[in-house]
Amino acid sequence: MMDPIEFFGNHTFRMVFLGTSVIGLVAGALGSFAYLRKQSLISDVVAHSALPGALLAFLAAVLVLEVNGRNMLGLLVGAIITGTLSALFANTIASRTKIRIDTAMAISLTMFFGGGMILLRIISQGQFPGKGGIDEYLFGNASVITIADLTTIIAVGALALILMVVFWKEFALRTFDPDFSTLLGFRARAIDTLMFTTIVIAIVIGVKAVGVVLMIAFVVTPPAAARQWTNTLPSMVALSGVFGAAGSAFGAYISVSLGSVPTGPVIVLTLFLIFLISLFAAPRRSIIATALRQARARETLRRELRSETVDK
Amino acid sequence: MSFLLGTTLLAIVTALACALPGAFVVLRRNSMLVEGIAHAVLPGIVVGFALTHDLNSPWLIFGAALAGLLVVLSNEWLIRTGLLIGDAPQGLVFPALFAGGVILLSLDLSHVHLHTEVILVGDLNLAAFRQLVVNDVSIGPRYLYVMLCVLAVNIAFIAALYPKLKITTFDPEFAATLGLRTQLLNTAFMFLVSVTVVAAFHAAGALLVISLLVVPAATAHLISHRLSVMLGLTAAFAVVGTLSGFWIAYVLNAATSAGIALFYGVMFVAVAFADKLATKLRRKRRVEVDKSAQGTKPAVSEAKQLDRSRSKNKPQVAE
Repeated sequence: MMDPIEFFGNHTFRMVFLGTSVIGLVAGALGSFAYLRKQSLISDVVAHSALPGALLAFLAAVLVLEVNGRNMLGLLVGAIITGTLSALFANTIASRTKIRIDTAMAISLTMFFGGGMILLRIISQGQFPGKGGIDEYLFGNASVITIADLTTIIAVGALALILMVVFWKEFALRTFDPDFSTLLGFRARAIDTLMFTTIVIAIVIGVKAVGVVLMIAFVVTPPAAARQWTNTLPSMVALSGVFGAAGSAFGAYISVSLGSVPTGPVIVLTLFLIFLISLFAAPRRSIIATALRQARARETLRRELRSETVDK
Repeated sequence: MSFLLGTTLLAIVTALACALPGAFVVLRRNSMLVEGIAHAVLPGIVVGFALTHDLNSPWLIFGAALAGLLVVLSNEWLIRTGLLIGDAPQGLVFPALFAGGVILLSLDLSHVHLHTEVILVGDLNLAAFRQLVVNDVSIGPRYLYVMLCVLAVNIAFIAALYPKLKITTFDPEFAATLGLRTQLLNTAFMFLVSVTVVAAFHAAGALLVISLLVVPAATAHLISHRLSVMLGLTAAFAVVGTLSGFWIAYVLNAATSAGIALFYGVMFVAVAFADKLATKLRRKRRVEVDKSAQGTKPAVSEAKQLDRSRSKNKPQVAE
């Protein structure tokens, strides 16, 4: 294991550590809403569909604006546009045809991602400045995060979290009682769009560091783990954010210490471990807790039955 | 056999082998589960390759398919615990397995040189590279025969269990009351899907495999009301889509598998639009006929009834 002083003394390692932690925090917190809306998998569609957007932004930056094609802001804008389009496309298929949402998501995902892979081939075969390593958008490369990237990630992530706090009441009501929220006069469509945009932001800020393929784990796993420990929305969102951040930080630390192991996948495994611990060993809800409670109840019942027979 | 012909045949056979079980995947609402399977088989393939050193080995295909089955079984188990809601159980296990596969690849213990792009979209040309030579005559890519076997197994499975598959797909509760072992059948079927995914992985990658399984079946589902018709149309869309996508990619010199995936999507959208247009025209004509016969009002209500009978709640395909 690497010495913490050595770890934090290194600029690249610090960037990896901070970048992935912020991504984990934002994705974990906002993933809670996707989880509670029972639409966790749409994050997989959005993440995969961020690829063509990020690549189109690269092409636009290089060919039209003639600036550095890998700047974070352009990547985010492109990814947010195609990510949102893919989700809208999936929902349109599900509502306008007899195809159900799971198949609609698969169709949307393969179309957008297929388009992205074609763009990737075009870029890698062409003459574009700064195209080296552009295929890192697939699995991410946390070690290329610059100070400017980190600043953008923090700023955009903070914006998403602030939106969540400002519209907390609307989000919560829409999540738990959609009919009642409409009855009270909140515009369902507007809230859904806003909530969804924050989730899309949480997904796309991870594209550069984690990659489009594994980003789903950052959105799905922390909420599923946090849910086992708590019963209220504020604590679930907070805990999910903490799980996301801590899992990412720990994973980043391990991957850097091990050397040649890619960061994103190690973080995904760390998050999965947190989930497994929560599922089995969280107090009250978990598998072990439930088994213990049932055993105790059975024992009590047995004792009561025995004492009854003695009384007679 | 010429290389181009061999590759084209390989693309068609792979597409058919995936599309036929895909029809049942779509009807059983398991589409996103296939996304999970397609990612989860990666560690299975890496470990399998370390042991067998042959990507086409039946042992590798069988072993890696078990990794895919793990996603299916863990999904069912997680749902049964009652501790998770929504579609989260489907999205929890496969990223971890896929991440494990990527880490194994990066450690390069097995010396399997799968490029990241190949993992995701496969490489049809590479898959078709090794030819099967009998008596000094090339009779097509070796891989073509692997996929032909998978296609044959899939057709045999569907043909042998057609009535049971149909009833468990459309009315699982009724199937259970009849004494059918729905759980066993489901596991067997998903294992077959897993085997197909692993076998096709080499040519199609994790992404195109989902496209091949789901999109032709979904396109056929749009315009069919009987299972047998749907299966036929699925096969037709699979072949037409592959040929067109393959040739467009060939002419434009684009990535073959990604091109096919994109073309499948375009085909789906085109059929969806055509279907909407046809329904609208049909309704308009009916209203006009009724108007000339008896007046406006009953005709409109009849058109509405027609519309309602196509609504989502009713079983869509019946025989």
